[in-house]
Amino acid sequence: MRLRRFAGAAAAVFVAVGAASGAMAQAPTPLVADISSREIAISTGFAGAELLLFGAIEGRGDVAIVVRGPRGPAIVRKKERIAGIWLNSESRSFANPPVYYRTASTRPLARIAPHAVLERYEIGVPNLRVALATGEHQEGAADFREAFLRNKVSAGLYDRDVTPVTIIGGRLFRATVWFPPNVPVGLYQVEMYLFRDGRLVSRRITPLVVRKVGIEAQIFEYAHQESMSYGLIAIGISLMAGWLGALIFRRA
Amino acid sequence: MQIYLPIAEMSANALLLLGLGGIVGFLSGMFGVGGGFLMTPFLIFTGIPPAVAVATGANQVVASSVSGVLAHWRRGNVDFKMGLVLLAGGVVGSSIGVFVFTLMRELGQVDVLVSVSYVLFLGVIGMLMMFESLRSWLRSRNPSAPRQRLHVHLWIHRLPLKMRFRRSKLYISALAPALIGMFVGVISAVMGVGGGFVMVPAMIYLLGMPTAVVIGTSLFQIIFVMANVTFLQAISNQSVDVVLALLLVVGAVVGAQLGTVAGTRLRGEQVRALLGLLVLAVGVRVGYDLVAAPPDLFTLDPHVSGVL
Repeated sequence: MRLRRFAGAAAAVFVAVGAASGAMAQAPTPLVADISSREIAISTGFAGAELLLFGAIEGRGDVAIVVRGPRGPAIVRKKERIAGIWLNSESRSFANPPVYYRTASTRPLARIAPHAVLERYEIGVPNLRVALATGEHQEGAADFREAFLRNKVSAGLYDRDVTPVTIIGGRLFRATVWFPPNVPVGLYQVEMYLFRDGRLVSRRITPLVVRKVGIEAQIFEYAHQESMSYGLIAIGISLMAGWLGALIFRRA
Repeated sequence: MQIYLPIAEMSANALLLLGLGGIVGFLSGMFGVGGGFLMTPFLIFTGIPPAVAVATGANQVVASSVSGVLAHWRRGNVDFKMGLVLLAGGVVGSSIGVFVFTLMRELGQVDVLVSVSYVLFLGVIGMLMMFESLRSWLRSRNPSAPRQRLHVHLWIHRLPLKMRFRRSKLYISALAPALIGMFVGVISAVMGVGGGFVMVPAMIYLLGMPTAVVIGTSLFQIIFVMANVTFLQAISNQSVDVVLALLLVVGAVVGAQLGTVAGTRLRGEQVRALLGLLVLAVGVRVGYDLVAAPPDLFTLDPHVSGVL
């Protein structure tokens, strides 16, 4: 109950953590963590979402957080000038990098843990495994990998910058992570790590669902399952709209 | 005001899309072109995936064409008989076009072939239209010049199956519009557009139809061509976004009405000169993208097929 001392801006969050740590009182866990919502709902007005990641740590240490989206294949194409025209020439397929990737930490990653550890858990964009699919030409792989990251960053789906994790009172931590409007749907995971003296002490993984809800989800489903009637309805709407438009303007 | 587009799977500014629909609808009503050749590059520029842009653009063109046709019909400017003959040719042509498209895709580099055909067709047609309309405009300012004939008879008019097209004031072989419809059908399927920008000049210069009738008739047959494209895209690629289409349509319907009114205030050669300029501008733009160094040599999948 000593948590009460820190009652401040994020009171609701603190109470939740307090309850969680209270339950663990018998066997103190070095890391308790949660997220403000287990679901990001994409509805009509969706313009991106911010998610609050929070928790408490036992004793000193550094917190690193990785949020990654579902994995899927990706293709990077390279343009080349042939007879004055830019053509897609070479391409490389990547096995299955995450569609979305963000990191947060209390201190610069290099100071938290040795390179090998960061690489093992894929913490930080430079340590993310973006491997070519099997059977791909290895030639120029580094350029294609860099191009993949560059494109992901410019689409707002990856971020090379590490979001700061704020530690409050040496015990509570919080960070906010941004999900852009073009965030792909699927099953995400939020990984929170506690490092002490460069050694991994504890890890908590929380699933997060990004999905379409309401009319958006229904339209998408219908378009894929009843594509023939969807097409006819789309044409019908256009015919009606065109006719209505002409009708209204004739009156005017 | 952001709105989420369920098929494009992204948020976009609703007001921007309404405005975009309005501008393209205005040009559509004024010139009798579906506007696909404008809308698709615009949508891709705003970040809509190309496949969704092509398919949804087709759906939107249906609405603006219906709106435009009704406005032209009230003025007696639609030659339905001519439209049906063009359409019959168009159906045959677009089937051939889909076959050619599939063949080109198997050979690879379909994107570039599409872009190159954009540059070729838009460039040549835009230039021809501008020169012709400027010439006839200059002639009209000089009343002492000899009167132009109503239209020139070409070999294509002398084919068998002669038919009378009252609205167009023509008595020519039905094979002429059927062949033109077929040719435009091939281009439409390959380039993923309604083909109005090819159809309109072909009707004016090859068939010799009066400009006023050409626009309504072109819009009439575009309705059917683009409805077919919408349907095929919906069942084969699920890439028609009704939310996006609805926003564009609302803008386009209003725009098309205003465009039709604006078009009737202009003289035939002025309409043709402006359309020529527009077509040429888009052709130059597409051509520039083909030869200019891209900002990033590498692109991440969003598989750029179809247009541009």
